[in-house]
This record gives sequence, C-alpha cells and structure tokens, in this order.
Amino acid sequence: MATTEVPLPALPEAHEERAGLVDYLITVDHKKIGVLYIFTAFAVFLFGGVLALLFRLELAQPGMQVMGQNTYNQLFTIHGTVMVLLFAAQVSTGLGNYLMPLQIGAADVAFPRLNAMSYWLYLFGTLVLLSSFFVAGGPAASGWTAYPPLSDSKYLQGTGMDLWIIGLALAGIAAIVGAVNLVTTIFRMRVPGMTMFRMPLFTWGILVNQLIILFAFPAITAALAMLLLDRNFGAGFFDPARGGSPVLYQHLFWFFGHPEVYIVILPMFGIISEIVPVFSRQPIFGYRALVFAFFGIAALSFGVWAHHMFTTDAIYLPFFSLLTMLIAVPTGIKIFNWIGTMWGGAISFTTPMLCAIAFIFVFLVGGITGVFLGSTPIDFQVNDTYYVVAHFHYVMVAALLFAMFGGFYFWFPKMTGRLLSERLGKWHFWLLFIGFNVTFFVQFNLGLEGMPRRIADYPERSWGTYNTISTVGSFIMAIGILVFIWNFFVSLRRGRPAGDDPWEGNSLEWVTTSPPPHHNFHEIPEIHSERPAFDLRHRPPSEADAR
Amino acid sequence: MFLVVAGLLVWSMLRYRRRGDELPPQIHGNNKLELTWTLIPLLLVIVLFVVTIQGQNKALQRSTRPALEVDVLAFQWSWRFAYEGQGVEVVGSPGNVPELVVPVGQPVRIRLRSADVVHSFYVPRTLFKRQAIPGRTTEFDLTFEKVGTYQGHCVQFCGLAHDDMLFRVRVVSPGEFQSWLAQASRSGSPSQPGT
Amino acid sequence: MTDEAAVLLRVSLFGFVSGIIYWFVSYEPLGTVALLLLGAGPGFAGLILVQAHRRQGGAAESRGDTLRRLAGIPPPDPPGPEDLRDDDLGVLPLPTIWPFATSLGLAIMLTGLIYGLWLIVLGGGIAAYGTWGWLAAINRENRYGRIQAEQPPANPGPDPDRADG
Repeated sequence: MATTEVPLPALPEAHEERAGLVDYLITVDHKKIGVLYIFTAFAVFLFGGVLALLFRLELAQPGMQVMGQNTYNQLFTIHGTVMVLLFAAQVSTGLGNYLMPLQIGAADVAFPRLNAMSYWLYLFGTLVLLSSFFVAGGPAASGWTAYPPLSDSKYLQGTGMDLWIIGLALAGIAAIVGAVNLVTTIFRMRVPGMTMFRMPLFTWGILVNQLIILFAFPAITAALAMLLLDRNFGAGFFDPARGGSPVLYQHLFWFFGHPEVYIVILPMFGIISEIVPVFSRQPIFGYRALVFAFFGIAALSFGVWAHHMFTTDAIYLPFFSLLTMLIAVPTGIKIFNWIGTMWGGAISFTTPMLCAIAFIFVFLVGGITGVFLGSTPIDFQVNDTYYVVAHFHYVMVAALLFAMFGGFYFWFPKMTGRLLSERLGKWHFWLLFIGFNVTFFVQFNLGLEGMPRRIADYPERSWGTYNTISTVGSFIMAIGILVFIWNFFVSLRRGRPAGDDPWEGNSLEWVTTSPPPHHNFHEIPEIHSERPAFDLRHRPPSEADAR
Repeated sequence: MFLVVAGLLVWSMLRYRRRGDELPPQIHGNNKLELTWTLIPLLLVIVLFVVTIQGQNKALQRSTRPALEVDVLAFQWSWRFAYEGQGVEVVGSPGNVPELVVPVGQPVRIRLRSADVVHSFYVPRTLFKRQAIPGRTTEFDLTFEKVGTYQGHCVQFCGLAHDDMLFRVRVVSPGEFQSWLAQASRSGSPSQPGT
Repeated sequence: MTDEAAVLLRVSLFGFVSGIIYWFVSYEPLGTVALLLLGAGPGFAGLILVQAHRRQGGAAESRGDTLRRLAGIPPPDPPGPEDLRDDDLGVLPLPTIWPFATSLGLAIMLTGLIYGLWLIVLGGGIAAYGTWGWLAAINRENRYGRIQAEQPPANPGPDPDRADG
C-alpha cells in the first residue's frame, strides 16, 4: 500500500532544535506550547502539593502545633484553588496541545498564535494569583469555593482575595480561548480519511473536554466578576442586606464547578483508552460506545451541579440526585470496555499499563462513593466531611495522577526520543499507589465518623490516629513524586533511545519520528481505521488493501 | 459492585498476561455486551434512587406538633439557641461551647438562621446537616433516640475560627428537660453553657 | 450539515430539553436560565454553521442522512471530496512575540481593576500594542501569503475502501 505524500511547507529549519528562552517566548508551535503548559502545570502541582504536606503536618495530631488558624485556612484555600483550577485542567490541555494535532495528522492547531496567547494568559493568571502571597494579609482564605458572604469584602479584607479573583479570571479566559482553538482544530484539520469515528480516543476526550470548557467557564467568569463587583465596587449580588442571595453564587459556581471536574477527568479517560489497547495488544473494546459514553457523561455533567448544594434546602433534590447517580452508567460502560479490552488480550505490565490499571481501581472507588454521595440522605450525613474529601481525591487526584503519569510514561519517548526508566517508574508507581491509598482511604472513615472539612483542628482525640496515618501516607506520595522527577531528569540525559514507536502504538503520532519534526510529519499514511499505526505495521506485504 | 468489577480486572490481569509476540484475536466489541452493562447499572441506579427518595423523605419529614421549637442562630464563631416562648437563651463563644438541651424521643423543630456568613449545623450522631444562609430561615426536625451528649460542628467554612465553632447537644429525659427549662427561665439571663 | 453543526445542535437540544424539564420540576430560575442558554448559544452557532455550509455549496443531504448525523450515527459512505479542506493543510505562521505581549497587557489590565486606573491604562496600552502587531502580521500574511506548500496539496485520490467506513 503506497503512502500518500502530503506535500508539507518548506519551513526554514536551518536553526538547531534546541530551544532557548526567547524561542519559547515567541513560539507558536503547538508542541512547544504543550510542553510549556505541562511544565507550568506540574510546577503548580508541586507547589500545591507542598502546601498540602504542610497542612497535613498540622492535622496529624489534635492541637495546633505547626501554624495558626489563618495560615491553615489560607493554605487549604490555595491548595484547592491551584490544584483544581491551575493544574488539573491545564495538564490535559498541555498534553492535548502536544498530541492532538499529531493524532489527527495536522501540522499545528487551527490558530497557532491564539494558542500561544492562551498559554501566556494562563501563566500570567497563575502568577497574579500566587502574587497574593506577597501582599498584606496574604492569600485568600475563603476555601477554593469562595462562598460569599465570607468572600465578600465585609468578612475577608485585603487584596489577596481580589488577586485570587483576577488570577482565576485570566486563567478562565485562557481556557475559553484555548477551547475554541482545539475544538476548531479537531473539526477542521483532520488528515483526509480520518473521519470523526476514526479519531483516537484521546482526541475524543480532548474534544469533549474542550466543549465542556466552552459551555461551563462563562458561569464561573460571571460569578467571579460579580464577586469582584461586590467586593470593590459596591454591588450587592450576593449580599442579602441589599437584596442579593448567597445561594445565587453557589448555583453559578457549581454550574461551572461540576462540569469542571469532568473537564479534568475526560482527557484522562482518553489517555487510559490509548494505553490499555496498546499494552493488551487488542483494539479498544467498543470504540463507538466509548465515544457515546464521553458525550453522555458530558451532557449529564451539566445537569447535576446542585448535588453540591443538597444541604441548602434551596433546591429540588430528586432531579439532581437521579442525574448524579445516572452518571455512573456511562462511566461504568467505559470501565467495562477497558476491562473488555484487556480480556482475551496479551497484557504487558509496563509502567504506563500499571498506571492505567491503578486508574481503573481508584476510579471505581471514587466513582462508587460518588454515586452514594448522590443519594440525598447519605449526603445529608457526609456532605462537608472528610468522606467528600476522600471521594474527590480518589477521582480528581488518584485517577488524575495515574492517568497523567501513565500518559507521561507513554508519551515521553515520543516527545524526547528517550524512554523513561522502567525500574524507577515502578518505584514511583508503587510509592504513589500505596501512599495515596494510605492517605485517603482512612479519610472515608473519618468522614463517616463526622470529621468536618476545612478545620484547622479537631476536638475529638480519637480522630488523631487516622489523621496521623493519613499524614504519613501523604509523605510516601511525595517521595514517589520525587522519584518521578528524578526519573525524568535522568532519562532525559541517559534514557534508552526510543525510536519512532517503542510501544507498538495505534495512533498516528507513532508514525512520525521521536521527537516529531517541526511540521509534525514527513509523510502520513492513508487512514482506514482508528488504528493507523497498527494498520501500517500489519499491512500485508502485497499491494492489497490493509486489513 | 466494586468487588465484581475489581475481580474482573484482577482476573483479566492474571489470565491474559503477554506470553510472546503473537497478536491475540482482535476483538472490536460486542453490542450485546454493551447493552447488558448499560442496562444492569441503569437498573441498579433506579433501585438506588427509589431507596434514596424513601430515605430522603424520612430524613426530611416534619412533625405536625413538635415537642419543642428552638431558634438556632449561627454567627462567627459560635451559636445561639433560643427556646421559643420560654425566654431561655444559650449563647456560646469560640472558647465557650454552647449546649443545646433537648428531651429524648420527641421531635425537636430547629429554626436555623445565620447572622453573617454561610454556616452549617451538623450533629454527626443525627446523620443530618443543614446550611444556615444569611437572609434565609430554614426549618427541620430532629428526633434524638438516646440519652447522652453529642458533639456538634459548623461544617461550612465560615472564616478564621471555623474549626472552633462547636456545640453540644445534651439529650435528657422529658422530666429532666422540664426541670432544666424551669430553672433556666427562672434565672432570667442567658444561661451559660454547661449547666 | 457538517459534523460541527450536528454536535452544536445536539448540545442545544440537550440544553433546551433539560432546561424545560428542570423548570417544571423545580421552578428554580437560575439553573433554568443557565440550561436554556446552554441551549440557545450552541443552537444559534449551529444554525449559522448550517447556513454557511449551505451557502458554500455544501452537498445537499437527504433528510434521513441529516437526522442520522444529528443523532451522531456516522454516514455509511467513506469521506468524499467535501470533507477535504485544501486550505487547512500545511500553512503555519512564523514565531512571534505578539501573543505574549497581548496576554501581558490583558493580565496587567485586569489586575488594574484592583489597583487603580493607571494600571488599567498601562495594561491597555501594552495590549493595544500587542493587538496592533498581531493584526499587522495577519495583514501581511493575507497580502503576501504564509509559508505556502510548494504545490497545492494533492488529493489522495479515490478512497480504495469503499466497502468499509
């Protein structure tokens, strides 16, 4: 089968591949921008993680040993904020930026300069928010949800809160702009022959994720604008004394906030859907079903926001309870399909595969506890306790981290031309898996016993044991992450050369060199299925059609 | 559910390990299977939902004649319990945990308000909580089945001393409750906690 | 209609239907408005795309095909010439500082909302400069072209696998 030469632009490639600082400042190359996103997001992750270690030290024993109440409140606020809003969504955007054009055979995204602007807006938003550490009064201490009236200027003075708002507004604009870009790219710039239903599942995950961003972010931008107006310009949107309503904020915030968690996790579903087939040596089981499940989850995610508000006595409970529990159905479809892919396959337990399997386990735990939280009488008991904290850390941290690291191990060879060390990878994996479960599984018990969230200290001495265990676990996790960082730097220098396709991958990015050339492909094969690289490897020696 | 799925996962990991370079049979999917594992979870969800509604109705039911009505005011960072019509009031402060005294086995109507920011009234023992939102009054009934003293917390982050915003519920026999009430209203000024 | 229009219209349908159901079960105004806007926005965009596609001479579809595309069922035929877009292949802008500058300006402007008018003006100035540079670059490209492919991208030819999709 002849490959079709798609003539590509003759770009001036005289300069070296090694990029300096200036190159990154002026780049419009989606690959470099993707790398910038990933590095920035990971740095934010490390920062947020250190904050968590600090307040876990405080919580390990009853009594205030390490810090005061205000510092504690600030730390968990910023921890939550940066992790959810400045790390989780952007690491997917970064991977999507790098990989999606490769996966669809495009030379870049639809609007490369706009792409660069998205990144810089994100970076500046992050810097603005972090600058709040240096102003009088320090950073915001409202919780990442920043409910008014507490977040109003009457109760939380100081510019820290305002900088929080502005920083997030900038990151929000970045997300919306980026979403327009990536969605357009996916719709418009696929290589001929790649119909929508031949796209890799990671690209589907990015598509749905960016569509959700487009529809959800306006709500938070509105809420933030209104909060800023309340705080600084005398408005009274959320002030009952002026005819406003705090419940209004909760609605706006969660109309965004719930889809946000699906923004975070759907590309991760996509990553798992890439890794599992490759290391089971089978095609993904039920490709169409997985695509429909993506959309089902996304649609439902817009209908469940008020399950964060069950205890307000201000919403219609059964609607949200039912829809919340229904999300389990498409999610379950995905999990069954992944297992179905493994079933009957030939599984190799490389680090990416271990990460993917761990993902399925932790997502089961997190997902099932989520369904329970959708049941109102259960939520009346455990809302705002550590049960919820454990639940969302299972889905938003464990699942996210395993998918993310799985993706890193899987695609690092493509991006750098070298393999990450498997030995260090396994150390990293086990430390993370054990550390995470030790940290968070006991928190389910703490929640069931009634331990509230966001408390700097607790009177019940009996809770001390579980809290100490949890703190120990968090440090084990930290060591695991350090092992990864070590692995990264060592492998960058001395990792085994990977070649174009070290894993026998399925999607188009494995057809090109590692790392890809500036314009991504020297030649693109014809696309006949959702596994173009596989087809290329397994084409019969004759000139007959593949498959 | 977890055990079934996890079991399948572990089983497939053990049984289908790679043992060579041969490609396993390339199965793309099975629509019947998809349908099955869509319908079964759907049924489970419906069952769970029915159970949920039943539980929810029970948790939210209100008695036509509650034995006692208490006006609870949440403020930064403690609580004020006012016994309607008895002239008795219990006010706490961050160092001074207020105590809500109630009779056992009888529905207590709580009328919950907030003086400043959003708080939340939570007694873990009751498996129930409710947000106190400024500008709104919300009501619910609590029935305590056993005599004893139970810890209570504010569970909606409300600022600096949110973790100190504690209270206690002391559940006593109806007779004891009456005598406490009589003594408290006799002393006139807001009772100090820990009576 | 195109795939994009179909997706947007599906989102729109979802927004309207769930918004209407939500109103009648809850009578809660904010969520209802949010859901209805979720219906209106993409619906509007989708209809515009349908119009544009039709005006550009997009291949007329049978009603059955339209409904199928709306439902997300892929058409049975392999991609035809209208799915190939020659103008999308292989044209890339050169590296440039304008996105960085515009973002910096916007960030400073928004921070000025807290710190005062002078910062808004400063940020606005930088953003305006960045935007000017950006637009100038686009103008230059429109006039002189970007780095073009050496020859127009070749049509890969008739798709050999007519049998499968």
